[in-house]
Amino acid sequence: MKLNKQILLSIAIASILSACTTTPARNETLERARTLVSEVEQSPRAGVAAADIANARNSLNAANRLAESKTRKSDMEFEATNASLSAMIANEKILTAQANDQVADGTAQRQAVLIQARERDVQRSTEQAGEAQRQAAISQTRADSLETELADLKLQKTDRGLVLTLGDVLFDTAQATLKPGAYASLDRLAQALREQPGRRVVIEGHTDAMGSAENNQGLSERRAQSVQAGLIQRGVASGQITALGKGEDFPVAGNDTAAGRQSNRRVELIFSESSAQNRGGS
Amino acid sequence: MTSSSNVRRNLTLGVSISSLLLLSACSNVSALAKERVAQSDTSVQQAQQTVGRSEAGAKELQQARDKLADAKAALAKDRQQEAERSAAQAHLYAELAIAKSQSASARKAADEVLASVEVLRRESERNSPTQR
Repeated sequence: MKLNKQILLSIAIASILSACTTTPARNETLERARTLVSEVEQSPRAGVAAADIANARNSLNAANRLAESKTRKSDMEFEATNASLSAMIANEKILTAQANDQVADGTAQRQAVLIQARERDVQRSTEQAGEAQRQAAISQTRADSLETELADLKLQKTDRGLVLTLGDVLFDTAQATLKPGAYASLDRLAQALREQPGRRVVIEGHTDAMGSAENNQGLSERRAQSVQAGLIQRGVASGQITALGKGEDFPVAGNDTAAGRQSNRRVELIFSESSAQNRGGS
Repeated sequence: MTSSSNVRRNLTLGVSISSLLLLSACSNVSALAKERVAQSDTSVQQAQQTVGRSEAGAKELQQARDKLADAKAALAKDRQQEAERSAAQAHLYAELAIAKSQSASARKAADEVLASVEVLRRESERNSPTQR
């Protein structure tokens, strides 16, 4: 930049002086040429303008020789001006080379930043893909878990949803108190429901046709309620559970044999899937 | 390089001096001066093409044209040394105009690249405030 300013100044001086050959030669023209030539000679990129710098040096040497003779000032001036012009040409070529270096350097830097950004994108999308996979796996596990966990509890898919039938072995005859043998099944049921708070379950009590219908209705309600209580005790939210007594009106077998009556004495748990879908399908 | 151009320079100087002496004796226009002027004319035309309408080098191009006009005028008046000197400087100004135009283009390209690197770097830093 400093060099450029000096060059502009020297152009001005040089053009004034060269335009008017009758003007007595001034030391300034020669001094300017000396400064300019030595500056370009000292530039670290002098090599890109070697021919121009050599021309400048030749002209300057000629000017220096002519400066010793007082009668040839216009000749000296001519050579000095040429030296300055050649030095300025060299300077512009050096500036061009420096700018080209910066272009190359900047292009390399840009490439490096782009590569860095791309690597980061790859890393990020890999992480995102991994996270998405984990999430998918988790929700798949969740969806599967109820069926998996309760598979051995004779879960059945019906029109009403998933139905789990608990046999009468859970209760003593005509009693609504759960027997200890029922606890293991309840534990697993409760765990499955806790893990899926979106699931709802309807507990239906059913009886055989022995005894009065009124008694059976009451007994079926109490049995459904004691299963409900057992689940709530095990940490299931009460809002997830509805208990209903269905009495003796929905037999699954004939009431004329002991085996049929045993089948009819049951508690059914109906898992609704609609509610689960409302929660976003989890 | 330097020594060879020195030799060439001395040679041309010698030739021009001898032809000057020869031609001034016959009071005829130097063929060398004519050739120099013609060469400078070509240089100025080249500079005109390179500089075009751009600002960089425009002033030097004008100086080259002025010098060329001086050289032609001197040639017409049979002032051989003046013609040769003006032609030589017309050539140098034309070269300078070209060099300035080229360095301005290179500077502009460099500034653009550096600015784009800066923008890219800032963008990339913003996209990853925690990383690296």
